[in-house]
Amino acid sequence: MAQDMTLLWGSGSPPCWRVMIALEEKNLQGYNSKLLSFEKGEQKSKEVLDINPRGQLPSFKHGNVVVNESYAACFYLESRFKSQGTKLIPDDPTEQALMYQRTFEGLTFYEKLASVLFYEYYVPEEEQHDSALKRNKENLSTEIKLWEGYLAKLGSGSHLAGPALTLADVVVFPTVAFLFRFGLSAERYPKLGEYYALLKDRPSVKASWPPHWLENPKGQDTLKDL
Amino acid sequence: MAKDMTLYWGSGSPPCWRVMIALEEKNLQGYNSKLLSFEKGEHKSKEVMDVNCRGQLPAFKDGKIIVNESYGICLYLEDRYKSKGTKLIPDNPDEMALMHQRMFEGLTLFQKMAQSLFYTRFVPENERHASAEERNRGELREEVQRWENYMKCDYLAGKHFTMADVIVFPVIAFLFRFGLCEEKYAKLAAYYKNLKDRPSIKSTWPPSWKDSPGMDTLKSL
Repeated sequence: MAQDMTLLWGSGSPPCWRVMIALEEKNLQGYNSKLLSFEKGEQKSKEVLDINPRGQLPSFKHGNVVVNESYAACFYLESRFKSQGTKLIPDDPTEQALMYQRTFEGLTFYEKLASVLFYEYYVPEEEQHDSALKRNKENLSTEIKLWEGYLAKLGSGSHLAGPALTLADVVVFPTVAFLFRFGLSAERYPKLGEYYALLKDRPSVKASWPPHWLENPKGQDTLKDL
Repeated sequence: MAKDMTLYWGSGSPPCWRVMIALEEKNLQGYNSKLLSFEKGEHKSKEVMDVNCRGQLPAFKDGKIIVNESYGICLYLEDRYKSKGTKLIPDNPDEMALMHQRMFEGLTLFQKMAQSLFYTRFVPENERHASAEERNRGELREEVQRWENYMKCDYLAGKHFTMADVIVFPVIAFLFRFGLCEEKYAKLAAYYKNLKDRPSIKSTWPPSWKDSPGMDTLKSL
């Protein structure tokens, strides 16, 4: 089962990390794990393009079935392996509704993060503006406060959609981990800090922690003033 | 069931349209349908903010249960009302996998479209560059061509209408509304024409589109 699966991924990519957490949660360890380098442009290699013509990571194959796009792979895995590992989509309609909403708000959360942390990567130098980066930082700050509020409403020890881990956590935790890697203050955002501490020791998260973060435990402080 | 549901929406918004198509497909007609005006800023009204603190549409309530985010609402409806109406998520693993991938590639199609069509809405005047506008248009062209090449069957995930069509059709309809060339993108045009007459799509066609011509911004894409 897992041996028929291949994941092409890059270290420190939240979308890749989501799929790795999902594979662990569904007890699908043992998949073929191919770590590629963004710096060397390996996401545009033939190996990737054969699976994903967009030349993007994560790229994922299960036997003959290809599922690219991180959310698609996560939903596919939950759907296909519903009865194994952790139940990622709750049955209770209220919990399910909240899980779906947070899962898709997670797209906005990641977008705002990327607009700050990857600004210089995505925007050609001659098109960069201080006013744009400043606005992106303000938008990210507003977004972070929103999630801090979401966690505050649910109480200590909670996951994003209730007491148990769900798909919402699988897709959003990597974004939260990135915030702290890049210097977000846990004093200013105690609920997010608590959530980060809660999940960083979860086996699926530990097992898939970005390898280059293990090599360099010290992150950056880009977000320290946010 | 449907009487306990409320959808807040705006005309011509692909995310809102998705949810309306899903509600029709699941035989949940009869929901409270609240059409609001983006121009008048009604998406930031108290009525919406009480349901969606982001002040965005679509905003949706099923009795006491709130679900926002168009993809979230569509998947919630399919999950909760699985046995009603059209089966939107196929059982066959190959079809299910392709359906999921196309659903989420739909985010990229929508984003590239918005980035190009609404450049001046999103980017303040002093930050605009012709180079950026050109690049966005080029990326949209590439993306649309990619979807043209995807069209091998009647529907996005194969032989059956699925959630991928619910999610992506409104974006394709938007492209043609803005003048996309039907000769150049013949397969997408065939898909568009085929689905225009599907009951769930006919009955939810944006009211603001019915009596007005589209634009030709994408004529030469």
